[in-house]
Amino acid sequence: MRDIKYSEIIKLNKILGVNFKEKNSKKYKISILSNIMVHQSKEIGEYSLRKNDIYAEIDIGNYDNLVQDSENIDKSDAIIIFWELCNIFDGIEYKIDLISEKKYGELIKKVKKEIELIFNNIQLVPLVLINRFSSLIFTQDELNNFRLKKLELTFNKFLEKYSSKYKNIKIIDTDKILSKCGIENSVDYRFFYASKTLYSINFFKFYFNSIAPIFKAANGKIKKALILDCDNTLWKGILGEDGFENIIINKEIQYYARKLSRRGILIGLCSKNNYEDVENVLNNHKEMVLKNKDIVIKKVNWIDKVTNLKSISNELNIGLDSIIFMDDSDFELNLIRKGLPMVEVIKVPNKNHELPILFNYLNRIFYNFIETSEDKKKTLLYKAQIERDNYKNESTNINEYLINLRLKIKVYFNNEKLISRMAQLTQKTNQFNLTTKRYTENDLEIFLKDTQQIVIAINVSDMFGDYGIVGLIIIKYKESIAEIDTFLLSCRVLGRNIEFRLMDIICNKLKNLGIKRLYGKYQKTKKNIQVSDLYERFGFEIKSSYKDTLNYELILNNYCHSNFDYIKVIEN
Amino acid sequence: MNEIDQRIKLIMSTIFEIDINTINDNSSFDLIENWDSMNHMNLIVALEEEFNIQFSDDDIENLLNFKLIKFIIKELINK
Repeated sequence: MRDIKYSEIIKLNKILGVNFKEKNSKKYKISILSNIMVHQSKEIGEYSLRKNDIYAEIDIGNYDNLVQDSENIDKSDAIIIFWELCNIFDGIEYKIDLISEKKYGELIKKVKKEIELIFNNIQLVPLVLINRFSSLIFTQDELNNFRLKKLELTFNKFLEKYSSKYKNIKIIDTDKILSKCGIENSVDYRFFYASKTLYSINFFKFYFNSIAPIFKAANGKIKKALILDCDNTLWKGILGEDGFENIIINKEIQYYARKLSRRGILIGLCSKNNYEDVENVLNNHKEMVLKNKDIVIKKVNWIDKVTNLKSISNELNIGLDSIIFMDDSDFELNLIRKGLPMVEVIKVPNKNHELPILFNYLNRIFYNFIETSEDKKKTLLYKAQIERDNYKNESTNINEYLINLRLKIKVYFNNEKLISRMAQLTQKTNQFNLTTKRYTENDLEIFLKDTQQIVIAINVSDMFGDYGIVGLIIIKYKESIAEIDTFLLSCRVLGRNIEFRLMDIICNKLKNLGIKRLYGKYQKTKKNIQVSDLYERFGFEIKSSYKDTLNYELILNNYCHSNFDYIKVIEN
Repeated sequence: MNEIDQRIKLIMSTIFEIDINTINDNSSFDLIENWDSMNHMNLIVALEEEFNIQFSDDDIENLLNFKLIKFIIKELINK
């Protein structure tokens, strides 16, 4: 909202108001009581809530008429009180240090009495926000401790003590908002001395942005669950590739998630990984902060995340719009944005020093002013609930999303420049790797010189960017027979049907070479279970099996072209 | 400088809720119904934000018609 100009806000606010009216939405009435002019808070405040789907209507009370206004306020859903020290009486910033002790004492008594009266008058209003008294704007001098500052401390002490009697009162620390916005940006002394308008429109933009979570919570728009990816989120590295010993636990995120779970926020995992591998980390990794007892729900599998998030929402019986999903991959995040726009997605920052900003943001998102002791047991309650419910698996069609992604495969045949990357791929790829044969650069050099071998490297890109060289296929052939020696894909590009398009490329190429039969082999390892039936999905037939090896055959003339022509292929 | 005129008119039409085409050099505090002291403040802050300028105290009190507003804004921009 900070980037939107005031005149634009007025315009948009009006449009939103008309929309709410047409939908017959219920108004959320806010009264602002103030001893200064806060006229601009109406449009900015309304807009900041209306864009959060709250049909706010702000009514501004009479100027400097706090006590009287508070008597006639019972129809409001909420009240905001701007009670500014600088206008407790006219010219206080100059006069306060000159008045006698007796008068000073009387002033304190008067304001205390007013606080009591006002709080008593508005005790039936569901929600009251009162700004802490602040002298910051008029006492920026850090060396002297003048009376205005002392007055601030005295009043605030009383405010805190007296408000604790009432459940409906929330105290807003305006000094924090002032420091975020900057004092210079927050105040326009011209307007203060001309018309007692203290705050600038910039300030109001910051202010309403800061307090919006309270109104969202009051209107039931609260976030209940934080669902986390695992690889490069809970830890740095890819468990299936780098292995248990080599991942680095992202402790900061885990401490934070654990803190949330203590507050009653549900923590879940949604990760493309082997379930047992992640369990192993949760149970046995010494650096892990998050434990199974902190986690309500786990979707650790190879199903797409849209489906997984839907089942999380079903099983926890919470709305998708109360879920925050955190992942490191733009691909996954965009899949969710398209498939489940009501889920708020957050990208894990690359750098740890960016985390405090993220956590500040999340604190605001997960703000809930009604925290009960039950909240703290929530994780347990939900876990039990899930055990009772049956698992419902919903399928979702992600083809449309993939089409919009504009995937492109660049194919490199026998390209010497890529030798080191190709060797690296054979050494590092574990999950999508049919035979898991490890090759050195030397090996690959020999393959490239061999006229009876084809080495295919592929590059994948989409509208969001380039994934680099992420796939390798090595085929050996003789006369009319060929065999796939290596078929691997980096896990960065899984779930995009790239492999099927690759099979099209392979078959075309081989047919042109006069090949009739193609053999393939699946060599089972601890990590490549996800491709155990890949050749069957390609249309191969099992010929033989021995221990952990399956041998397949395909008559090339029987090969059915994949239906994934939306993945563009460019041959280099 | 037509573009500046247009931006001013756009803001005036938003704040005073009037048709942009009705705004001309004669448009003033007395003739526009919604131009009261509250909306005057709105107009001032919106114009200051739009053109990234600051009016002087005297200007704020005197900017009571379109002709004067565009004159002063152009002066401030060209400073």
